[in-house]
Amino acid sequence: MIYKVLLTTWMATMIVAAFLYAEPATGFPGETSRILFFHVPQAWIATLAFLISMIASAIYLAKRQVKADYLAQSGAELGFLFCVLATITGSIFAKATWGSFWNWDPRQTSIVILLMIYGAYFAVRSAVSDPDRRRVFAAAYSILAFVTVPFLVFVVPRITTSLHPENTMNPAQPGMDPKTLKVFLGSLLAYTGLFLWMLRLKIRILTIEGLKKPSVL
Amino acid sequence: MFAVTTLIAVSFSIGSFSIEEAERPFLYSVLLWIILTFSALSGLARSFVKEEEAGTIDVLKLSARPQAVFLGKLFFNLTLLGALELIIVPSFVLLMSYQISFPGFFVAMIITGGLGLGAGTTIIAAMIARASTRGALFSALSLPLLLPLMITCIKGCERAAIGISSAGWPEVRIAVAYFAIMITMSLLLFPLVWEE
Repeated sequence: MIYKVLLTTWMATMIVAAFLYAEPATGFPGETSRILFFHVPQAWIATLAFLISMIASAIYLAKRQVKADYLAQSGAELGFLFCVLATITGSIFAKATWGSFWNWDPRQTSIVILLMIYGAYFAVRSAVSDPDRRRVFAAAYSILAFVTVPFLVFVVPRITTSLHPENTMNPAQPGMDPKTLKVFLGSLLAYTGLFLWMLRLKIRILTIEGLKKPSVL
Repeated sequence: MFAVTTLIAVSFSIGSFSIEEAERPFLYSVLLWIILTFSALSGLARSFVKEEEAGTIDVLKLSARPQAVFLGKLFFNLTLLGALELIIVPSFVLLMSYQISFPGFFVAMIITGGLGLGAGTTIIAAMIARASTRGALFSALSLPLLLPLMITCIKGCERAAIGISSAGWPEVRIAVAYFAIMITMSLLLFPLVWEE
């Protein structure tokens, strides 16, 4: 309970700060750079969630604990959700700065493929009826899918030029406004907190569902 | 059969002169890889389903190590793909009068792309043999994994056709890396999928 209250307050503070406290970055039209406080944490959470899902899948294959499979499934579902959010916010940003919602920029291409890969992951889950077999196949596919991600992230943007802002907004880069950096890190924390809370809920739901159904199904 | 039919359909409907000269290298490259990928998918999906249907899968499980089964299926698939490419690619080039500036690069791209295609799909074929909806599932699972490879192959063939200087053949190296990663991961994951 206290966690939820703290999270809500923190998240609300960050939203207010994102619009009122931080100053717009130079080199971007109007207020568009404020997307940094939402889009980047979403993308970060998506990556984190897929990574968690992949590691949990590997643990499941090694130890065959159902809990690890629950974690893998929850991670993939939440990662998918945040990935969709990042795509939508990114697309709005694209409209504001590049002039169109969608132009098959390498970043957009790779995020679509990523969504398709995890869509396929859910297809594996729904297509195999035997629960043990389903878990093994889903875990194997998740690992297989994860190894193609470096190709999407490093290779596809390399062979074609991207419009995606890279260094101007990278917090590791010097030159980021200290106010912006503060709000950005705060927002990252808020999103991570939100993600962990949702992850816990999702795992609880899966556990309860697992208890309800007879295991032979 | 599927491959030849598609090739004839494409060639008949587009012909060799209906596309603008400047657009050709790119569009032909896209068409070629669409034909190759989808004909490959229609053939490769069968590799493990055959064993399942014939009931030989249990004997295979008892008598051979999973890695041996996987490599055997992989070599079978690669041979199949090689034969497919041997028929499709020359006929495509001739029928569409596809001008290629760097034949060496082009051939290397076709070969390494084929290797990647085989490596990426074999383990998926093993999975779908045990699932309820086989045909549709195979494409649904394979295509997202193959997309990075396909984008690379299309770029590579386009560059080979236009003749943009390509020091070190980056696309070929990407395809080889893809092949290597897929083989490694499949060898690790296949025993688990196979025993299930």
